Amino acid sequence: MSTPVLELRDVHKAFGAARIIQGAELAVARGERHAVIGPNGAGKSTLFNLISGMFTPSSGEIRLAGRRIDGLDANAINRLGLSRSFQITNVFARMSVFENIRIGVMARHGIRFDLLRRAAAMRAVNEQAQALVERVRLAGRRDTLAGDLAYSEQRALEIGMTLSTGAEVILLDEPTAGMSREETAHAVELMRDLTKDKTLLVVEHDMDVVFGLCDRISVLVYGKILATGTPAEIRADRRVQEAYLGEEAA
Amino acid sequence: MRRHHLLLLVLVALPLLVLPPFLSLGLQNTLVSMLVAALFAVSFNLLMGQGGMLSFGHAAFFGIGAFATLHLMLAVEDGLGVPTPLLPLAGGLAGLGLGLVAGYFATMRAGVYFSLVTLALAELLHTLAPQWDGMFGGEAGMSSMRMPWGGLVFGSVLEVYYLSLAWVALCLLLLWAYTRTPFGRLTLALRDNEQRVRFMGYDTHKARLVVFAVSAMFSGVAGGLLAFSNEVANYTTFGMPVSAQVVLHTFIGGSTVFLGPVVGAAVLTLFAFFVSDLTRSWLLYQGVLFVLVMLYAPLGIGGIVELHLRHMRELRWRALAGPYLGAAVAGLLIAAGFVFVIESLAVLFSSDYAVLRRDAGGLPPFPFLGTEWQPLSPLTWLAPLLAMAAGGWLASRAGRRIAPLWDEARRVHTQGGETA
Amino acid sequence: MLMEFLVVSVLNGAIYGMLLFMVSAGLTLIFGMMGVLNFAHASFYMLGAYIAYTLSALGHFWLGLLLAPVLVGLLGVLVERFLLRRVHAFGHAHELLLTFGLAFIFEELVKLFYGNFPVDYRMPEALRFTAFTVFGTDYPFYRLFIGGTAIAMFALLYLLLSRTRVGLVVRAAERLPQTAEALGHNVPLVFMGVFGTGAALAGLAGGVAGAFFPTSPNMALELGVIVFVVVVVGGLGSLEGSLLASLMIGLFSSFAVGLDWSLAGALDAVGLGGWAREMGGLMTTTLSSIAGSVPFLLMLVVLLLRPAGLMGERS
Repeated sequence: MSTPVLELRDVHKAFGAARIIQGAELAVARGERHAVIGPNGAGKSTLFNLISGMFTPSSGEIRLAGRRIDGLDANAINRLGLSRSFQITNVFARMSVFENIRIGVMARHGIRFDLLRRAAAMRAVNEQAQALVERVRLAGRRDTLAGDLAYSEQRALEIGMTLSTGAEVILLDEPTAGMSREETAHAVELMRDLTKDKTLLVVEHDMDVVFGLCDRISVLVYGKILATGTPAEIRADRRVQEAYLGEEAA
Repeated sequence: MRRHHLLLLVLVALPLLVLPPFLSLGLQNTLVSMLVAALFAVSFNLLMGQGGMLSFGHAAFFGIGAFATLHLMLAVEDGLGVPTPLLPLAGGLAGLGLGLVAGYFATMRAGVYFSLVTLALAELLHTLAPQWDGMFGGEAGMSSMRMPWGGLVFGSVLEVYYLSLAWVALCLLLLWAYTRTPFGRLTLALRDNEQRVRFMGYDTHKARLVVFAVSAMFSGVAGGLLAFSNEVANYTTFGMPVSAQVVLHTFIGGSTVFLGPVVGAAVLTLFAFFVSDLTRSWLLYQGVLFVLVMLYAPLGIGGIVELHLRHMRELRWRALAGPYLGAAVAGLLIAAGFVFVIESLAVLFSSDYAVLRRDAGGLPPFPFLGTEWQPLSPLTWLAPLLAMAAGGWLASRAGRRIAPLWDEARRVHTQGGETA
Repeated sequence: MLMEFLVVSVLNGAIYGMLLFMVSAGLTLIFGMMGVLNFAHASFYMLGAYIAYTLSALGHFWLGLLLAPVLVGLLGVLVERFLLRRVHAFGHAHELLLTFGLAFIFEELVKLFYGNFPVDYRMPEALRFTAFTVFGTDYPFYRLFIGGTAIAMFALLYLLLSRTRVGLVVRAAERLPQTAEALGHNVPLVFMGVFGTGAALAGLAGGVAGAFFPTSPNMALELGVIVFVVVVVGGLGSLEGSLLASLMIGLFSSFAVGLDWSLAGALDAVGLGGWAREMGGLMTTTLSSIAGSVPFLLMLVVLLLRPAGLMGERS
């Protein structure tokens, strides 16, 4: 296997006496769709927060395309090509859908502190933002305030915003949480379409989504990666069944 | 929408350009204060309404602008060749400079802690200024004179007014242009959700600092205009009342609309001028108005107007006319009753009345509104209380009829958005 | 000479610190429990002083001390129930703005009824005696009375919050409002009680201290800002922190007034005093003249380096 695009080596994170992540090892290959599953409290969200720069690891290394990113600020990590979504919808509630997306597209074009041109005159940015609005199927809601969207629409916008900065590695945190069966199917299709030439790392509780969408799966239990493999391998792994799937099936 | 803006501009700009020469000197002075307050409030609101940062120490930047301009005016008196109309620029530069330093620290914090940092910074200057003769002229403050330039004497209030009008118009235009730039859009995103902006690749500390510094810069120009007009300033320019006034202007006018703070500053400054001879309780009414806005109309005057414009087509105006009229009458009744009570109390508790009471050896009737009122007569107090009660009843009745009409308009509005 | 300066400064500073503590205790309580930064808090202190003044002018000093906290506490309850609760949903900034408007109103109402000048609120003759004499200076008993009230207040609050169920419920209501609600605690009632108690404490402080320090419509604004310094430095929400910060600022203020230290003086030690004096400006500014600024500098440093304050729990 070529060098992984995202790699965690012996990552630890403790909050006071609580050791949440205890030596996590993970390697995500370029272009794959990789899921992290695990029982509640296993540390999945913390793992995402460490990778995306919300927290700094207590020890260990995190590399993005070979470059150390642990300890960097979230905005720097995003600029290096890793973008994440949030479990609780995290949009700009009083701005339109289009503007929500455009903020990210602006960052992709390096337009950050520009006070000398009209936003409406940024042709490439506006076109790309419009295209992305259409790809997340919110064209009909282009000018609706994000706070006024229905829940599943907000989730779609959430994914759109994560993609908008043009990052190569996409982290999605429970993208289908709280959705109906129908909405979930819709969302899976959307994710598959949107991440075609990207690397995807996703935390997900819905096993249908995980097995249907992802190439490989890592199982996180008590802050450690218990096993990594294809869906078939994971299904067959007895340790995983004991730790996680069995409990879920019961 | 475009045509509305143009019409509005003409309606506002024309009187501002044409009327002042025909007004009294006092009113001309008040108009200068109004322009200064308007610019200050819009600058403040760039930080608050657009950037989501509530500053309780904006007097710092207003004040530093005033002192910087006075320093430059003194230099011009000594022969420095700066054109007089450009003097407020010194205020802008000083505001920018202090804004960059203060903002660097203040934007390290968010929410209540941000407000506390700004408050502490302004108080620091406020307490330091009277001790610092060279910079702020000590307790007495500083003064200077406007020098003639290019055939203009700048001796009359009118000249000062037109120069202020030009400066304020230019600054408001720049601040409006700001909202249309990419960074202006980013500013709104910072207000809504700073964390998300960070995770989309922006250094939010730096971004918030820029917003802060721009706001401080225009506040400095406003302070500079004040110094230019008054030719004096002292340490009280840094005081809490100045920081408080801009908060009141902004929220009463409406912080969600670009021109809301202008409305607030204009309404309150003009009202203060017209009623200051009639009552000493003006600040009390202003406080009550502010609290009422916070409780019942958090969008402020500007926000309410904007809401109506946005739902222009969906609202059933004919059905609304009756209840709106009722609400207006209710408001008048309540205000009249309240003002009557307060003004009567002001008379009764005044030192003049204390003398009257001592001479009469009891509670003599007090003069108010051209007649005499018995302080112990139930009629004196029952009338205003009845007016207020009737107003309250009328208001709740009107409110009950207005609410469903608005619900309907909102529903139609969002559905329209969906099908579009 | 030095000993006299030390003792007198400590005695004066401690009493001023105690006054600061009495007012800031309620403020920090309200912030800690409800997250509301109450701008009207010093106004409650002022109202307490004016209520006590009114009654003492009628010859009922002690009744005034009793009614000041009761009436102000009641006012606090009404403010919480009918005003703050209405805007709670809009967030903390909105609550802060509302109390800010109320501070405005209270000040103007006081001016309306009592005039825009200090009133002559005095302690009764029976309390006007010297407790002891140090270095030839008489130390008034009333200062001890103020200090005693503050200490009693601290002890009572501390016991209430740490040793009784009340403290437990209040803390639960703040941290996990839903859980507390589910456990059958009436969270809105708890908040109302906390706000009322905080207001009552400020009212009592006003009643007691107003008879010693000036009672005027400016007292709220003057004390209000410095009380913010105290709660920030002590740690928003920490009672012990408030006590510590109050004493610190009280002692500092009283010492600084008597000290003519300056940067130039300090530079004398390294032989640069002469140069510094030529520079003038800040170099020759004495500590006593900038004593008023130091608390705000301290507040800034704390906010920037340790926003949780000296004794705060969270950062």
